[in-house]
Amino acid sequence: MKNTPVRQTLVSAVHQYKEDMYRLAFSYVKNQADALDVVQSSIEKALKSVQRLQQIEAMKSWLLTIVVRTSLDILRKQTKVTVLEEEAFTSYGREDRYPDLDLIEAIDALPIKYRSIIILRFFEDFKIHEIAHMLEENENTVKSRLYKALKLLRVSLSEEDIGQ
Amino acid sequence: MTDPFRKARNTYKNTPIPKELDRLVDQALQTSPRKRRWPQRSLVGIAAAAAIFAGTVNMSPTVAEAMAKWPVIGDVVKTITFAEVEMEEKKASFQATSPDIQGGDSALAAQLNEQYIEENKQLYNEFMSELDTLEKNETAHLAVDSGYNIVTDTPQILSIHRYVVEMRGSSAQTNQYDTIDKENEMLITLPSLFTDHSYIEAISESIKQQMKAQMAADENKTYWLEDDDMTEPFQQIDDDHTFYITESHQLVIVFDDYEVAPGYMGSVEFTIPTEAIDHLLVSNAYIR
Repeated sequence: MKNTPVRQTLVSAVHQYKEDMYRLAFSYVKNQADALDVVQSSIEKALKSVQRLQQIEAMKSWLLTIVVRTSLDILRKQTKVTVLEEEAFTSYGREDRYPDLDLIEAIDALPIKYRSIIILRFFEDFKIHEIAHMLEENENTVKSRLYKALKLLRVSLSEEDIGQ
Repeated sequence: MTDPFRKARNTYKNTPIPKELDRLVDQALQTSPRKRRWPQRSLVGIAAAAAIFAGTVNMSPTVAEAMAKWPVIGDVVKTITFAEVEMEEKKASFQATSPDIQGGDSALAAQLNEQYIEENKQLYNEFMSELDTLEKNETAHLAVDSGYNIVTDTPQILSIHRYVVEMRGSSAQTNQYDTIDKENEMLITLPSLFTDHSYIEAISESIKQQMKAQMAADENKTYWLEDDDMTEPFQQIDDDHTFYITESHQLVIVFDDYEVAPGYMGSVEFTIPTEAIDHLLVSNAYIR
């Protein structure tokens, strides 16, 4: 069990993607201590269930999926999480054009279910169907949340850029 | 068109990485994996081994005739390999085996066997039509594995577990169980065990208690019990929820991956203590 080939592949994948894992965790939990916790328990979970993983090519998306789910679990346990209500958010000036820095803040202020999708789609470059799988939602839900998120951010993109 | 997310993405990619990360990762990787809670992949090996002689069962009239003389339904279950497809260049594979319950001329056995084959056929068609949508050089990264496992086999009861594992990056497993009363040639359903519908609440309550207890005892366990904006909490089981009966006459309720817990928890099972449902049972014939 200890040194099966799949386990070795996991070990090297973790080394390769540890920074991606940390960044993604940080984008959810927003502080270093919790993000490190997420990375640590994600690795433990990955070690536990790696034998079930069949396609080692997809190791990155699998690892990041575990990070997403672990982050969500941590957020769920912390009831202190403050989610900006959509109402409050849309009361920003209607016609304003946001410079880039504001876009970053605006992404941060999005409710988690929208923020997740923006990060996974545009920062981590996953496809819609991959995101759907990672977040355990169906593709249409992910798509409509993505449109909603873009609308909240007042970003317009072509269909092509929104991607599959 | 300019990418509106370019700068935001750069900021994201430049999230400072704490220097503790390396050490923490090394430490986490050194912990040895815990024993898995249920055997899973091993089933495939058994099914594959059994498949070798299943072919002969299908073809030989002598064997088929001998089968007809089996006294009761379900004394033997044979494996039928439905299909094995391996497409290296598409990174896709399909493997399906069905149980074939030997029941002489039992209508129930025939009906179930037909259903098992039919479901695998459908799975295969879905698999092939998904591959058809791929472009020439596109890969599917898809593996479908369908098989079965005999959970309980006593003179009275046969419980068959059938599973479908779909792997696309990570894996998702769905489970089906059939429990048969061999003596009376009857398929046992969940509602048929109970006098009225109050079992739904009694079983659901028992499961919620077990979820809470397990989460309190082990922080690595998570079940969706509380309401939040991300997941639906577990409320109650369906009236015909997936179940099986163990050799020691206990009722076990099964949930698929993602149904009541995050994906890393896999498929989860709860054994319902008989005292929680005893007063609701029609009889103690199966559960006691």
